[in-house]
Order: sequence, then C-alpha cells, then structure tokens
Amino acid sequence: MPKRIRLDKAIVTENDRLAADLADRYDRAGVLVVNLMSSPGAGKTTLLEATARRLAGAFRMAAIEGDLATDRDTRRIIDAGMPCRQINTGGGCHLNAVQVREALDAYDLRDLDILFIENVGNLVCPAAFDLGEHRRVVVSSTPEGDDKPIKYPVAFRLADCVVLNKTDLAGATDFSADAFRGYVRDIKADLPVLEVSCKTGDGLAGWFQWVKEAREALGPPAPDAE
Amino acid sequence: MHEVSLARAVWRQVEAEMARHPGRGLLAMDLVVGAFSGADPESLAFALSLLVRESDWPDADVRIRTEPLTMACCACGREFTPEHFDPACPACGSVDTDPIRGTDLRLESLEVETDDAETHSAR
Repeated sequence: MPKRIRLDKAIVTENDRLAADLADRYDRAGVLVVNLMSSPGAGKTTLLEATARRLAGAFRMAAIEGDLATDRDTRRIIDAGMPCRQINTGGGCHLNAVQVREALDAYDLRDLDILFIENVGNLVCPAAFDLGEHRRVVVSSTPEGDDKPIKYPVAFRLADCVVLNKTDLAGATDFSADAFRGYVRDIKADLPVLEVSCKTGDGLAGWFQWVKEAREALGPPAPDAE
Repeated sequence: MHEVSLARAVWRQVEAEMARHPGRGLLAMDLVVGAFSGADPESLAFALSLLVRESDWPDADVRIRTEPLTMACCACGREFTPEHFDPACPACGSVDTDPIRGTDLRLESLEVETDDAETHSAR
C-alpha cells in the first residue's frame, strides 16, 4: 500500500540561494544594484551611456553587461566613462547569479555607490532569475508597441520602474502613451513610468532623479556580521 | 526556458526526501506550478521525466497541478483570481492588492512504497 508524504515545500533553486548570497554582499558593501531588463534594442545601453555621462560626478558607478556575443556594449559604456565588465552567455537567454558572482571579481564593491547589471535582451527569462538586486527596471520603447506590459506581465509585475524610451519616435509608430500607461496600471498599479528619449535627452532628468532616490533609499552599508 | 534547472532543483528535493526513507520506492510526486511562477508545466514535466527515467525509480509518475494566481485585497479583504493579471479588486476597486497564491513552484507530496504493517506504525 502506498504511503503519501506531504511536503508542501517551495522549490528553492541554486540560483535563488546564490542570489541571496549576492544580496548580502551588496548590502555589506553598501552598493545599490540595479538590474535592467528589456527586449533587444529597447535602449538599455544607451540609457546607461547617458547615465554614465550625467551622474559621473555624483556617484561612483560600474556596470556588468550581458550579451550572447561581442563586447560592443561594454566598449560603449566604458567610452561613456563607466567601468564595465562583459559577460558573454553564448546561447544563454538571461544572466544568472553564478555569472554575476564571477563578474563581480572585477570590482571592489566597497568602492562603488551603484552597480548596474544590464541583462540579456529578453523580457521572459531574465524575470525569473534573481541576481540579488535591489531594484529591477524594465526598459520599453515606443516602436515595440504600447501593449508590451500585458504581453509580458511577469517582467512588468516584478519591476520597480519602467523606462519608456524613444518617445521621439512615438508619432511615427502609432504608439499611445496613455494606452501604455493603462496597461502598466493593469499589471501593477503603482509602477512608475518614466518617459524618456535617450536620443534627444527629453525626460532623462526623471530617470536620474529615480536613480538618486533609489541610492538615497539604500542608506549606508549594513554593519558587518563578523 | 529554464525548466531544466527548475527540474534539477525539484529532483534534489525529491532525492533528499527519499534519503530519509531508505529502501522504499518512489511511486509518484505531486507538484504545484503557480500561474505566476514563471515555469511552464509541460516543459517542467518533460525535464523531470528525463531525470526520473535515469533514476532508481524510473516508473515514478510526475503529476503536475497548475494553480491560478490568487490576489487578496488589502482594503476589503476579498480574494480573487484576476483576469489578464489585472490587480484591481473586483469588489471595491482598490489597487492595493497582493498576490497570495500562484506565484511559486512547490513540491506538494511524494507517494512511496511501504508495507501494510508500517502504515499502522507511528512515524
């Protein structure tokens, strides 16, 4: 006669365990970590370039770049003045906590105020992989259409901020900012939407302000456990 | 897209539990996949079936139940299953709502072999 063993245990993956370790490490070093996600081509790297240029005087910043291939984005960010470390995932469609842990060897986190992690361009898998970050940002862009939030609800639901890029192209693509904001509200009512054009600079002040506030909210480094 | 790593995590949990019941065979496992867990039940079942086939219990069943997303309204207490993930409370319209079920992947139970005598003995 079979016997049933009731467990009702949430499955904790290796990634979850490592992400918790990373989160501890970030807090002990007192560095704000921001994980940027988007579809390919929405403008994550361009947003980081603008951030590197504008906030260089205010914060000590660095980045980790995830791409299937090439170090093109890393070179762009370094050219903009921010140290950057490339992770090439080969076939991998997202960054995981193991890759981030290895890339962190490049930095002494105590020397940083903010670390940006630019995830692989993909709105599905990155949402499921915690990297221990404090904040998640989804970058969306007007040519992708205004219904992105309801088509990729998990990524938007787990985000802390949405940056809507390429507002300068909205007229050319029949994009409705009202519809977009409505769909964002449908997924997560209090999720802020920052409209920007990284090309013209419109609206970027709102993004810089969000970064500053996120940094201030983190406060000083957590006291060491030892 | 990452169900293989999820399947491995499930399997580690199963093996850890089976190690506490030496000599028993595994007959079946019951999993619950939340609609908002980010895991695809079919891919997960497929990945697990491969691990089961290579294991000491190749005939064990993998049973997966999906669980809809359930939200609770912080204003009026109503629990509801949102359509299209719309988080607004259908009763009072508040958007101050939190997901309470359907967000995780759980190993609910295992079914293992045992003899009749043992079913009467206390664990």
